[in-house]
Amino acid sequence: MTISAFLTDATLCIGCKACEVACKEWNQVPADGFNFTGNSYDNTNALGASTWRHVMFLEQPKRLGTQITGTEDPFRWQFLSDVCKHCEHSGCLEACPTGAIVRTELESVFIQSDVCNGCGYCVVSCPFGVVEKNHEVGTAFKCTFCYDRQRDGLMPACAKTCPTRSIQFGDINDLRSRAHMRVQELRERGYGDARVYDPQETSVGGTHAMFVILGEPENYNLPPAPEVPTVHLRSAWMAAAISALVVVLVVCLAFAL
Amino acid sequence: MPGLGTTYGRGGATTALPDLMNADAILIMGSNMAENHPVGFQWVMEAKERGTKIIHVDPRFSRTSAVSDIWAPLRAGSDIVFLGALINYVLANGKEFREYVVHYTNAAIIINPDFKDTEDLEGLFSGWDPEQRRYDARSWAYEHCGPEGRQEQTSDCGHGKEPGCMTAPDLSSCHRDDTLQHPGCVYQILKRHFARYTPEMVERTCGVPRELFLKIADTFCSASGPEKTGSMCYALGWTQHSDGVQIIRTAAILQLLLGNMGRPGGGIMALRGHASIQGSTDIPTLYDILPGYLPMPILGVNSKDLNTYYGKHRDRTGWWWNIDKYMVSLLKAYYGDSATVENDWGFGWLPRVTGDHSHQGYFLDMMDGKVEGLFVMGQNPATAGPHARLERKAMARLKWLVVRDLVELETASFWYDSPEIERGELKTEEIGTEVFFLPCAGHAEKEGTFTNTQRLIQWHQKAVDPPGDSRSEPWFMYHLGRRLKEKARLDPRPRNAGLNALTWNYSLGGKHREPEVEEILQEINGWTLPDRTLVGNFTELKADGSTASGCWIYTGIFPEAGRNRANERESRDFYGHGWAFAWPSDRRVLYNRASARPDGSPWSERKKLVWWDAAQKKWTGLDVPDFTATKAPGYKPPEGALGDAALAGDRPFILHPDGLGWIWAPAGLADGPLPTHYEPLESPVRNPLYPQQTNPAAMREQRPDNQYANSPDDRFPYVMTTYRLTEHHTSGAMSRTLSHLAELQPDPFCEISRELAAERGIRNGEWVTITSMRGIIEVRALVTSRMQPLDVEGKRIQQVGVPYHWGYRGLVKGDIANDLTAISEEPNVRISEKKVILCNVTAGRRQKGKAALEELARQIGRAS
Amino acid sequence: MAANPRITEDQLEALKEEAARTGRVQSRGVEPAGIPSVKPASAASYHGNPVLKPPTWTWQVPLYFFVGGVAGVSSLIALAAHVAGNVRLVRVELWVGFIGALLSAPLLIADLGRPSRFLNMLRVFKPRSAMSLGAWTLSAFSSAVGLAFVCRELILAGFGNELFLIVEWLAEFLAAFTGLVLASYTSVLLGVSAIPVWSENRRLVPVVFLTGALGSAGAVLELCGFMIPATRFIGLAASTAEIGIAIMIEVRGRYVDRPLREGATGWLTRAGAILAGPVALLLRIFAGHNPAAGDLAAICFIAGALVARYAWVGAGRVSSRDPQALFRIQRS
Ligand SMILES: Nc1nc2c(c(=O)[nH]1)N[C@H]1C(S)=C(S)[C@@H](COP(=O)(O)OP(=O)(O)OC[C@H]3O[C@@H](n4cnc5c(=O)[nH]c(N)nc54)[C@H](O)[C@@H]3O)O[C@H]1N2
Ligand SMILES: Nc1nc2c(c(=O)[nH]1)N[C@H]1C(S)=C(S)[C@@H](COP(=O)(O)OP(=O)(O)OC[C@H]3O[C@@H](n4cnc5c(=O)[nH]c(N)nc54)[C@H](O)[C@@H]3O)O[C@H]1N2
Ligand code: SF4
Ligand code: SF4
Ligand code: SF4
Ligand code: SF4
Ligand code: SF4
Ligand SMILES: [Mo]
Repeated sequence: MTISAFLTDATLCIGCKACEVACKEWNQVPADGFNFTGNSYDNTNALGASTWRHVMFLEQPKRLGTQITGTEDPFRWQFLSDVCKHCEHSGCLEACPTGAIVRTELESVFIQSDVCNGCGYCVVSCPFGVVEKNHEVGTAFKCTFCYDRQRDGLMPACAKTCPTRSIQFGDINDLRSRAHMRVQELRERGYGDARVYDPQETSVGGTHAMFVILGEPENYNLPPAPEVPTVHLRSAWMAAAISALVVVLVVCLAFAL
Repeated sequence: MPGLGTTYGRGGATTALPDLMNADAILIMGSNMAENHPVGFQWVMEAKERGTKIIHVDPRFSRTSAVSDIWAPLRAGSDIVFLGALINYVLANGKEFREYVVHYTNAAIIINPDFKDTEDLEGLFSGWDPEQRRYDARSWAYEHCGPEGRQEQTSDCGHGKEPGCMTAPDLSSCHRDDTLQHPGCVYQILKRHFARYTPEMVERTCGVPRELFLKIADTFCSASGPEKTGSMCYALGWTQHSDGVQIIRTAAILQLLLGNMGRPGGGIMALRGHASIQGSTDIPTLYDILPGYLPMPILGVNSKDLNTYYGKHRDRTGWWWNIDKYMVSLLKAYYGDSATVENDWGFGWLPRVTGDHSHQGYFLDMMDGKVEGLFVMGQNPATAGPHARLERKAMARLKWLVVRDLVELETASFWYDSPEIERGELKTEEIGTEVFFLPCAGHAEKEGTFTNTQRLIQWHQKAVDPPGDSRSEPWFMYHLGRRLKEKARLDPRPRNAGLNALTWNYSLGGKHREPEVEEILQEINGWTLPDRTLVGNFTELKADGSTASGCWIYTGIFPEAGRNRANERESRDFYGHGWAFAWPSDRRVLYNRASARPDGSPWSERKKLVWWDAAQKKWTGLDVPDFTATKAPGYKPPEGALGDAALAGDRPFILHPDGLGWIWAPAGLADGPLPTHYEPLESPVRNPLYPQQTNPAAMREQRPDNQYANSPDDRFPYVMTTYRLTEHHTSGAMSRTLSHLAELQPDPFCEISRELAAERGIRNGEWVTITSMRGIIEVRALVTSRMQPLDVEGKRIQQVGVPYHWGYRGLVKGDIANDLTAISEEPNVRISEKKVILCNVTAGRRQKGKAALEELARQIGRAS
Repeated sequence: MAANPRITEDQLEALKEEAARTGRVQSRGVEPAGIPSVKPASAASYHGNPVLKPPTWTWQVPLYFFVGGVAGVSSLIALAAHVAGNVRLVRVELWVGFIGALLSAPLLIADLGRPSRFLNMLRVFKPRSAMSLGAWTLSAFSSAVGLAFVCRELILAGFGNELFLIVEWLAEFLAAFTGLVLASYTSVLLGVSAIPVWSENRRLVPVVFLTGALGSAGAVLELCGFMIPATRFIGLAASTAEIGIAIMIEVRGRYVDRPLREGATGWLTRAGAILAGPVALLLRIFAGHNPAAGDLAAICFIAGALVARYAWVGAGRVSSRDPQALFRIQRS
């Protein structure tokens, strides 16, 4: 089975939110609640237990490529559909004490809800803040990469529904090269700040959900250099070991005196 | 859509969505395509990727603007100035596609010398009758168009939706000047008419800086000529105006001048509304036309008998010469054997139009207690109707109200939970209306067809049985009709003759005895009588009663037993032939004869579509020719030829009596042969071009319960426009009831500029109160650079955007934008002006209950 | 769904109220970061929304951190005492350890919801997951300390024989070792996470937790009446360490440590440090051998250590909501 992945392209997104809704419909995820945020057209705020695809709306004092707008100062309105990154080395998976989070044969990262015990460690271990615990059910949830659909040879619901091919689904290597070609092309077309978001150089080692974005990743709340927490295991345990030794020493001294 | 109908011949989008990919430039104006036609918009994105320039002109920076190459903010209601200036730009710089214009449009034709232009009559055309408040269009006619020129030619024979509506010009005697120099020719009149529509005027009137306008003019107008084409997309931003039809006319004229009609990547994409709203004008839910755009008999105008009817609507030349075939076939479909040549095929049984039976007319009559009962099927006037406050109160004056819907929507519940109840304007116990709510089957719970925005008729299967008592429309209509007929049979009064004559036998199936929908489609397609062999094309329909057809333009959709073309899904080519059926005769790009030179060869390799194959002696190409396939390019009609035979081989607009694209509309429109800029009924400025402020023919329906603000009016300084969001659907009855949609836009809001916010001390996310002469609502504020203040006539104009999806029921509730709009009527299609009204915005929530009305009264009371 | 720090439903409700009452809103209303503004886009986060999700742990978890720590170190002391031959002390420490073990599991389960959910963690052993390792450690420790406890009690009840003694020794060894792990893994649990203030202090948290555990274990002993030099020494050492830690946090003054210095969690951290550090220390030094003062010092230290646990978990919650904390680290 080839390794499937997403390439989500901000420059092709029209912010229709069809992906967000299709995901909820297919996976029967409940609504987040009816909260008006005032954050442009975004009223679901972020990925979470009940939002596995999330469409962002960025109003920025910047120019979009060569676009001409009749606004007084430069202005652009950007959209991007965020999703679980299905990290090459994923914090949630490494953290999970029950083995509920597994890497599927599709190389995607999947939570088996029946195994999950709601310890919440994945929640603080995802460097992208994706996975979240649903407090009614008491277990953790996130994008399944439509494991069920993919098993039956179907495209993930979000990619399937996207009218503009902003969400592309396919073989990870194809998409990687396509992403870089796309950015090249966009640069030539005047989108000076186009870039690929796919943190490969950090310990995350790349994602199965890559993005073509404009400007800094921070603007999309994408961490610029995400790390898998477990890279810190050594230093943390080392510190713990030393402190423990000191404790032993102190105790021995205490009785020696 | 008479804007397109009068200009080109048919009231439908002239092209197919995928064809947008072939355009070199796309002007999206008066439409928020990305948000409201997101699936169709994929072709615009596709085109953009191929280098097509996307231009969006809209009061707001919407999701469409966000992905366009150019966005220009303009003042709502000033489109004719903008488009007129484009026309002026084309004419002044000789950018028109000369050869196309001369051969394929009526630019060369010389007009009746009696004609006087708005430039001469301070904003009125010749023929205005101030008493009757309507035009006599005689002076608009072509010069020397044969002696038998129709006498009583008035502009409002029907509502412009109907055929030519003028005597077929005797083309031989019709004067033309192919050099386009004659001062009386359309081209020259047009030039003079739009001479004052300059970039400076655009800046003054629309608030679009002249550089920006010129950039757009250059970009779009260069998408013209043999090698290039440009297309336009519009929707409500153009239609919902007191001069909506004329806005569309202006665009239509521009496309003719640029030679963009009937060619790949050209045309005008009229983006329609509900999944089958095109279908509901083809087989109309409108009161003034019959299926296939046959005019409805109007009492005293054309209704005496079929001959008077033909006398009014039958063109001697051009396609409408066949109107008798289609009319008789329709009457045979209605009345079967009872329709005979003796009884005028039952023409007498058709109801007559006796007045304004439009939505607006209805509700005003209802308000005045002239209407007893109302069926509402698939509509939510309580929130989506103009001046919804009035419409809700009007419904409280009915004896009975039947609502068929998926959910108990505001229209069915107004009598106990509307704001009027809360404010004590209505008291439940005092409302006499008996309300019947009948659950309906949704589109997935029944089979049938959708006719989409590109005239494509697509079949949809039934996925599940409707729950409980829910029933489909066919079921309801059939069984209602059956029962009425049973009653009528026992009551032989003449008024029941039509009902008794009506054919009403369909095979029934299923446990609920559902009529066979495919059988209905076959009846629409048409068949020969009495043996009921299906006909393959409307050319086979006859006026001698030997054929029946429910809607002639749909003929061919069911060409033979067992072949439902609406249900075919094998797309063979780029235009989608093989996937469903586009009327007429599966032609995807209308008037496509114009994609070839007069001599029949393609204008260019790059832009070829259909062409004359000399070897086979017929028209061939990538699309089904919208032309008599065997009529040679060089064909010249013999003396006295009739119908299509009277049109030469280089006349692509075959529904027009002269086969030409009508830059000049000699008839068919109530408000002028050419578009002229009028201000909206409520405007922040005086008309900069003419003393005549507003469209003279538009109906304000002004009355104590439907008041207007002055223009300008410092009580209501801001321009408000209403529109949609991707996240909701129209009145919201289908989206506010679904959690996955409701959560995406939970509260009603208005979009305002940061300047206006500062001016009124409003912060983002806070509640604000919006008032107009007619109502008061509270919404959240989205303060954003997407709204830009405009400088118009030396005034700073603030525009306020208000989506209209909310109501007092559902998972998310909110005040109703239409409580602010007015009931007005555009003279041709009687749409009301929902895109421009004057409003006031103040920080903070409105008062509750009665106090809200007092607050409104105070606002109105403030000296103006 | 992550709650937006600036705009919560409560805030909006408050606005609604105010608006309904006064007809207009005086307060600043809601001001999302998304509205185009002059601040450099590079530093801007998405509408100021959090990037990370806050820890979900309930109040029982920090308490468990504390109890586990005390229990763990107590069994170390038990072993030491056994070696030193202070048998009475061994018994008490085994009691403490045993009770701690008995409390720990229920506290965790209270957070998870259902008892059976604790067992899910024993399906697999994932040493790279501090949580997994912790679960196993807790089980091992509980058995070990339980065994030692039982042996000790049997011996004291007079059933003693060679075998029991050997088993007890082994169990005590095991309990002491796993006890230390139990007392320290919770710090690794925080340090090895995505939460800035935790992971940036991954070397410090173990020190904090172990110091707290050590001091508290000693303090518990004192409260059980063991005002002996050993406990006193432990107390002095622990308090001194606490002071050192507090000073370090204050002087380093890192942005990421703000939740430890500012706001509610900041004051909580300081309160904990002051109680367990200077207060306990001074009481010990100046009150000399006054037992009352000794007890007070012990209580202060325990309180301080306990508060510190809550402060650190709270700080994590605050830190998770601040996108800038994350961005600064990753940009530096
Ligand atoms: N998601 C979604 N899709 C829909 C619908 C829906 O409710 N939800 N409704 C369907 C229906 S019924 C219809 S009719 C179509 C309507 O489709 P649209 O016509 O695109 O819908 P609107 O949003 O009403 O208006 C379009 C734009 O017109 C702009 N506008 C307002 N006044 C003016 C003006 O004076 N001049 C110009 N140039 N522009 C102006 C508005 O700012 C708005 O952006 O959408 C259909 N599609
Ligand atoms: N201010 C303002 N007002 C507007 C507009 C605007 O732009 N601005 N736009 C206008 C336009 S273009 C339109 S089209 C109208 C739309 O206004 P309406 O048509 O009045 O509102 P909808 O919500 O589209 O009503 C459709 C109803 O049909 C029901 N329905 C769906 N399927 C079926 C079915 O199979 N059978 C039956 N019986 N019912 C069904 C749905 O539940 C829904 O309640 O709003 C108009 N009002
Ligand atoms: S993004 Fe977070 S939740 Fe998704 S795989 Fe990576 S670590 Fe796990
Ligand atoms: S919450 Fe569930 S999925 Fe997350 S780490 Fe704990 S057990 Fe694993
Ligand atoms: S892949 Fe499936 S689960 Fe994941 S976001 Fe897309 S639709 Fe939702
Ligand atoms: S469906 Fe595609 S276009 Fe629509 S919001 Fe999602 S990604 Fe963007
Ligand atoms: S709802 Fe239907 S008509 Fe509207 S965009 Fe989607 S597919 Fe097209
Ligand atoms: Mo519509």
